[in-house]
Amino acid sequence: MSAAVATQELELSRPGTALYGEIVEFLYREADLLDSNRFSDWLALFAEDIHYIMPVRSTQFLSGGAGFQEVSFFDDNFQSLRTRVRRLETDSAWAETPPSRTRHFVSNVLAAPAGGAGEYAITLNFIVTRSRGDQGYQLFTGRREDTLRREASGQLRIARRRILVDQTVITATNLSIFF
Amino acid sequence: MSTIFRELGNPPGPASSFTRLANGQQLEDIVRPAEGIVSRRIFADPEVFAMEQERIFGRAWFFIGHESEIPRRGDVITRQCGIDPVLLLRDEAGVVRAFLNSCRHRGMRLCRTDRDNVRLFRCPYHGWSYSTNGALLAAAGEHHYGEGELDRDALGLIPVARLGIYHGLVFGTWDPNAPSLDEWLGDMRWYMDIIFGRTGEIEFVGVPQVWEVDCSWKFATDNFTDNFHVFYAHQSLVELGMLPTDPDFACHGNMVTLRNGHILHFVQGAPDDAYQGLGLPKALWPRFAQNLTPTQAKIAQTHGYSAGTMWPNFHWLQLITAGDMEAPPVGILNLRLEIPITATRTRMFSWFAIDKDASPEYRKLSYETYVRTFGPGGIFDQDDMENWEECTAAARGPEAKRHTLHHKMGLHRAPDKTWPGPGIAYKDSYGEMTHREWYAEWLRCMSRPLADRTARVIR
Repeated sequence: MSAAVATQELELSRPGTALYGEIVEFLYREADLLDSNRFSDWLALFAEDIHYIMPVRSTQFLSGGAGFQEVSFFDDNFQSLRTRVRRLETDSAWAETPPSRTRHFVSNVLAAPAGGAGEYAITLNFIVTRSRGDQGYQLFTGRREDTLRREASGQLRIARRRILVDQTVITATNLSIFF
Repeated sequence: MSTIFRELGNPPGPASSFTRLANGQQLEDIVRPAEGIVSRRIFADPEVFAMEQERIFGRAWFFIGHESEIPRRGDVITRQCGIDPVLLLRDEAGVVRAFLNSCRHRGMRLCRTDRDNVRLFRCPYHGWSYSTNGALLAAAGEHHYGEGELDRDALGLIPVARLGIYHGLVFGTWDPNAPSLDEWLGDMRWYMDIIFGRTGEIEFVGVPQVWEVDCSWKFATDNFTDNFHVFYAHQSLVELGMLPTDPDFACHGNMVTLRNGHILHFVQGAPDDAYQGLGLPKALWPRFAQNLTPTQAKIAQTHGYSAGTMWPNFHWLQLITAGDMEAPPVGILNLRLEIPITATRTRMFSWFAIDKDASPEYRKLSYETYVRTFGPGGIFDQDDMENWEECTAAARGPEAKRHTLHHKMGLHRAPDKTWPGPGIAYKDSYGEMTHREWYAEWLRCMSRPLADRTARVIR
């Protein structure tokens, strides 16, 4: 491990440092865009080679692993995420017209240098609440594994997102919101 | 009496207490499929749901799982047969079996994971253990039982009364007097051959997506052979250019109703190779002639879309769609099952399936297209669940329950005698003849007396 990488890892692992603070702020601003229904602005945070995936989870014994399967609830690239965003901008995406009210909470953020240059591997816990019409809350919890990449311009972008939900049976109308 | 009335059969008989609701109404008066009238009362009402328990879920045939989900000996998955929890497994001899997922001792759920590979089942509560063929191997503390207190031979797992397999699809019923699966499916098998046998074998890929929606299982179920909602319910995709702008675009085909409530349609796509042959790659088209009769092969070749309901709650959707605004159209095969939890809550299962001989490239493309468009995250499917919940929410109150739903489209349409397949066919796949036939079977099932086994305690 080079001295530079070691220094960065040390810095990243310490909440309160500038880089850690920048990453957490990025994640908070992202959540704010989603909760403000600013989906086009949200889409602009993603790298063109994004892989956005939410695997289906099965209940199994600990010895068999965490239960995440190859079949997913989401398996999107930039093009299909863009279609999802465009769809929400029509007046007839009935699952979100009128829109759900969501609240994205992120916490337990840990960061480390990732494989690629300028890439950071982020893990965090999330709670997403969804209030829809006159119904009670729909609740989603889980862990997220993000790869953030610093582009030449200095801008951070999301290059990979793996959404690891706690539920094996999703207790929600549908998954017409983003995570 | 109209033609349609005779076709649907089951004219209301003398009023019977068996079909009488607490408010004095008779089911046969408030559900009149031959007239296209279905009361809103039957959807969100706990009384009707309680009646459905034995009459439908206690004795119809139900889809449990596909053989490809349990390929190895000892493979087990936990599912439902009707609404009862079952183990579906391949035993040590390779035989597919299904048992109530419950220990014979105190009723503990035996298998508590979604899938496993086992040599035997051992109850976590008192350690009773069973072989994969259901036989009780050992109870706990056997030397504490006195003479005649533990009849091990009579204490095997409770089997699904009848099990049947067609094209790898495993169905079960709790009714030992039920007709055989072959009799039950009847002519539906001819159409299932086209969907599940067109290129050889179909396999279910991985696990189902499972989620729970606050809706009546019947609103979800009756959506699957409904073609004319597509333009309106999925309007956002018309706006995005992913569906045609002609509201009649999905009407070019036939609807078919069969005995026992099985219903389906086949619809033609655009006159373009991408929309022929059920959306399968051209390389697989020659398989149709090898695996199907000439008539079946022609239907597969000349249609793009099909949906079918194996009564009451299992469906195929064979579709052609792009996964996003810029992607090419691709064929997908989606299987769906609705299991009610309460009158107003339903557990949805959605599987992706593929022709076993499909190329890896097509398999990947078809899967990605499926997951982007169908299932709970799919840009098509999302809007359907919204409709099912809202229909259910609006059916709860006393005033709503005094009114009916309107299922009259095509009520007087004459059957299409030129359709080459079995069943009663109608040209123009915009119509509610499939709905009427589904509710006619529902009424028949709700009106058929229960055998005395329901009252008997089975030891």
